Amino acid sequence: MTQINLTINGRAVKAEIEPRCSLADLLRDHLQLTATHLGCEHGVCGACTVLINGAQARSCIALGVALEGAEIKTLEGMADDARMQVIKDAFHQEHGLQCGFCTPGMLISAWDILGRKPDITEADLRIALSGNLCRCTGYQGIVRSILLAARHLRQIDETQKGTEE
Amino acid sequence: MAEQGIGARVLRNEDDRFLNGRGQYLGDLAMLECQEVYFLRSPVAHAHILEIEVPEALKDCVFTSAHFDDVKPIRAVGAAPGFKGSDYPPLAIGKVRFVGEPVAICMAPTRADAEDMAQQIFVDYDELPAVVDMDAALAAGAAKVHDHWTDNLVLEVMIDAGDVDASRENAGIEVTGEYRLNRHAGVPMEGRGVLAYRDHRLNELVVYSSTQFPHVIRTALAKCLDIEERCLRVVAPDVGGGFGVKNNLQPEEIAIAALAMKLDHPVRWMEDRREHLLGCAHTREHRYRLTAFADAKGKILGLDADIRVDAGAYSVWPWTSAMEAGMAAGILVGPYDIRNYRARAMTIATTKTPMGPYRGVARTGACFGIERLLDDIAEKIGRDPVDVRLENMVQPGQMPYKTVTNKLFDSGDYPEALRRAAMAIGLDDIRKRQDAGEADGNLIGVGFGCYTEQTAHGTDEWVARGLPVVFGFEPTVARLLPDGGLVLEVGIQNHGQGLETTLAQVAHEELGVDPAKVVVRHGDSSLSPYGMGTFASRSMVMAGGAVGRACGILREKIARIAAHLLQAEASEIHMRDGYAVAGERSISLAEIGEAASLHPERLPPGEDPGLEVSTVYQPALSSGAFSYATHAALVALDAELGTIKLLDYVVVHDCGTVVNPMVVDGQIVGGVAQGIGTALYEEIPYDENGQPLATTFMDYLIPGAAEVPDIRVLHMSSPSPHTAYGIKGLGEGGAIAPPAAILNAANDALRPLGARVNETPLSPERVRAAIAAAREAAE
Repeated sequence: MTQINLTINGRAVKAEIEPRCSLADLLRDHLQLTATHLGCEHGVCGACTVLINGAQARSCIALGVALEGAEIKTLEGMADDARMQVIKDAFHQEHGLQCGFCTPGMLISAWDILGRKPDITEADLRIALSGNLCRCTGYQGIVRSILLAARHLRQIDETQKGTEE
Repeated sequence: MAEQGIGARVLRNEDDRFLNGRGQYLGDLAMLECQEVYFLRSPVAHAHILEIEVPEALKDCVFTSAHFDDVKPIRAVGAAPGFKGSDYPPLAIGKVRFVGEPVAICMAPTRADAEDMAQQIFVDYDELPAVVDMDAALAAGAAKVHDHWTDNLVLEVMIDAGDVDASRENAGIEVTGEYRLNRHAGVPMEGRGVLAYRDHRLNELVVYSSTQFPHVIRTALAKCLDIEERCLRVVAPDVGGGFGVKNNLQPEEIAIAALAMKLDHPVRWMEDRREHLLGCAHTREHRYRLTAFADAKGKILGLDADIRVDAGAYSVWPWTSAMEAGMAAGILVGPYDIRNYRARAMTIATTKTPMGPYRGVARTGACFGIERLLDDIAEKIGRDPVDVRLENMVQPGQMPYKTVTNKLFDSGDYPEALRRAAMAIGLDDIRKRQDAGEADGNLIGVGFGCYTEQTAHGTDEWVARGLPVVFGFEPTVARLLPDGGLVLEVGIQNHGQGLETTLAQVAHEELGVDPAKVVVRHGDSSLSPYGMGTFASRSMVMAGGAVGRACGILREKIARIAAHLLQAEASEIHMRDGYAVAGERSISLAEIGEAASLHPERLPPGEDPGLEVSTVYQPALSSGAFSYATHAALVALDAELGTIKLLDYVVVHDCGTVVNPMVVDGQIVGGVAQGIGTALYEEIPYDENGQPLATTFMDYLIPGAAEVPDIRVLHMSSPSPHTAYGIKGLGEGGAIAPPAAILNAANDALRPLGARVNETPLSPERVRAAIAAAREAAE
C-alpha cells in the first residue's frame, strides 16, 4: 500500500492504495465517484476521461500512485462550471446521448476541446473526438451538441466583451 | 404550451441524471460486504477438463460446476424437427467448447484480487481438435462439438415455394453469387454484469443484471435455480447499451445468482472488454450462395439459396442457435415480389463463442445477400441497379402483400423510398462524376440497400418460430397520484431508446399531462406487471400501445369524476394541459387525483375510489408491423491503399407514425453507425486453433466520430393499420442495410478495375486482395 495526497474536485484526498490501483478505480471504488465510467480499461474508449491538472486524460490507464499532488476533476466536480453547463444543455437539446454510458467522458472531452478550440469546425471536431467511442448515437447528436455549445459559448463570450467595452 | 404528444420533438426526461453523472449502472451500485467475481475462462477452444486444481487456501472462494450440482444448465431447443439440442452449463462440466467459456468463479473483495486468485488455479485440459470453420465442421470425421450428436449440423431447414425449376427454364439470365459476413461482437459501451444478494426480509433472491428483459430472466433463472418466481426479483438498473447481446439468458447470470443463494453476502461480476469480446454472444457470421433466374430486364423469376450460419458452440436461450438461419431464409426475398423460392438454411456448430441476437439479427445478412445479388444481376444485364430493384419491388397497390414465405407486409410504398434515396444521393450527377473521374485519383461508387423490417411481431410470429417463450404482449399500470402526477409502470427496459420520454408522450396524447411530469418505471420484475422487455423493435409499438390503452381507460374514469365535480356530462369532458375541461369550466388533474385517493365522498355515487388501471396490449394482427427503408451510400475508394471513405449516406425511412422525430432519427443514425462497423471495421477472426484474434479495442475496431459521416435521414409515413396510433418499430432498422449499401458502392467504384468484393468487413486488405485477383485474372 502506498499513501498518496491529491486534490479531487477541489477536495484534499489522502488515500492508501496499491501501486497497481488506477485513478479510475481510486475514484470509483475508494471515493464512490461513479460518474467516471469504465468501457475498456485499456485506454481506448474514453468513457473514463477526467481532467488531470486541467488536461483531459484517461483515468483507467493513469496509476494513482503517479499522481501525488495532482489536481483531478471529474464530472461530479464540474457541477458549477459555466462552460460545462452550456455543453450539458446542448447535449440535452441536440440528443447527444442515448444510453448515457459514454456521456461523462464525452462531456469532459467536449469541455477540453472547446476550451482549446472555440471555433472548431465539424471535420476537426470529429477527429478531436476520436478518443471517445459511443455505440448508440452514431456521433451525429454528439457532434451537433458540441457545435451548438460552441456557438452558445462564443455568443456568451461576445456578450461579455461587449459589456467590458 | 408547445406540442408534446405523439409526433412532437420532446426533449428527453432521462437526460438529466446521465448528464450529471448520476446514472446508476451495475458497477455503480453500492452494496455493503459485496464480493467481486472474476470468471476463469477457457484458454482453449475444445478440450476435456481432466482436473481443476485449487490451492487449499482458496477453497472457500473458488467455485466450479461441482459446487452447483443442482443448478440446471441453459437448454434452448428449437421446436423444429431434427433440431439437435444441447446443454449450455453456466460453468463448464467436463469439457470446454470455446475460448472464453466460464470454467470457475474466483471471488475476492476486489476484482484485482479475484484475478490474482485465478492465476493460482491449475486446469488440466486435454485438448481436442478445434472446429473453426463451417465447412470443416461438416466434413466427414470432423470433431463433434457435442459428443451425443451425430454431426455438427444443428438444423437444416428447407423451403420450396412456387416452382423454381420452371422459373429456371423460363429465365434468360442466371446469376450466382457468394456473399459472406464475418463474425463480430455487439459491444455496448457498458459490458454485461450481474449483482445478486439475498433479501431476508422479503425472502427474495435479488438479482441485478444489465439485461434487456428482467421479467423473462426471472422466469428462466427460477427454473435453472429451482426456486419459485415469487422468491426471485430481477432488476435491470441503468443499462449502458444492449443491442441484443444483453437479451439472452447469460451463463454468468445463473452462476452469480446461484453463488449468492449459496452465500450470505452480495456478489458482483462486471464484464470487462476482453471478456465481452471473448465470452458474450457473437453475431453476423452468415454465408450465402444465391442463384437468381431472371428475365432480360432483371425481373427475378426464381431464387435458389443456400444459407449457412456459424452458430458457435451453444444454443442461446430463448432464441436458439437456429433462429438466425431460419430468419434469414424467411426474409431473404426482401421487399421484392419473388414467387418462386427455394432455400436450404443450415445452422452449424463450431468451437467458437455462441451466436446470439444483435441489432438487425439475421436481417442484416439476408439484406446483404439479396442486395448484392441484385447488383450482380444489374451488372450482368447492363442496367442500373436502381432500375432493376424497381423492376422487382412489391408495389404499393399490392399492399397488404403476403410474401412467398408468408410474411405479411402491412403498408408502404417501397419503390418511392428507393426513388427518393436515388434522388437525394444525386444518382445522375454521380454517374456523370464517375465518367469524368476524380481529381485525386480515387474511385467513387454509389450503392443501395433496401429492406423491410418486421417489427413488434407478436404471438403468431413467435409461435411459428417455435421458441420457448411467445412474446405476445406488453402490460402497463397507469396510476394518477393525489397531486395529479402520473406514474406508468411498464414491462419493457429502457437502455437508450428514450422510452421514459416517448411513453410519456403517449400518456400526454390521452390525458393531456405534461410529459416532463410523467414517471416511467421499468426494468424491474417487482415494479410492473409481467412484461417481455426491449428487443425486436417492439417497445414503442407494444408498450406504447399498452400505455395508450391504460391511459384511455383512466381517462374514462377521470371524465366521469370530472363531469360529476363540474356538473357536466362525461361526454363533454376534454383533457388539456393537465385539466379536464368542459366548455368554460375546468378542473385540474390534481383535484381529480385528490378526490379519487383522499376524498371518496366527492366521487360520483357508485364510483370506486382510486385512479389506477392495469392492462395489456397486443396488436390487432400479431404478424408484425413492417417498417422499411432504402439506404444509399457514396464512397471514395483508394485503389492503392484499399481504404474506403464514406462521402455521403442517405436513409429514406418509413416507420409509420413517428412518436418523437428526434428519438427516431437518433435510433436510425445510431443503427447506421453500427452497420458501418459491420460493413467496414468489425471482425473477430479465429486462427486454426480456434483462438480469437481480436480481444481488445486495439485490434477490434468500432467506428469513431471520424469514420461515421453525417447521415441524412428522410422520412415517409405509412401508419400501420394493425397497431395503436399506426406506430411501427424501428430500433434495429439502421443496422440492417449499411453492409449492403456500402459494399454495393464499393463494387460500383471497383467496376473499372474488374474487381469484386463480397465479404464483410471490407478491410483495406480485402480491397487490395480483390484488386490483385482481378489483375491476375486479366493477365
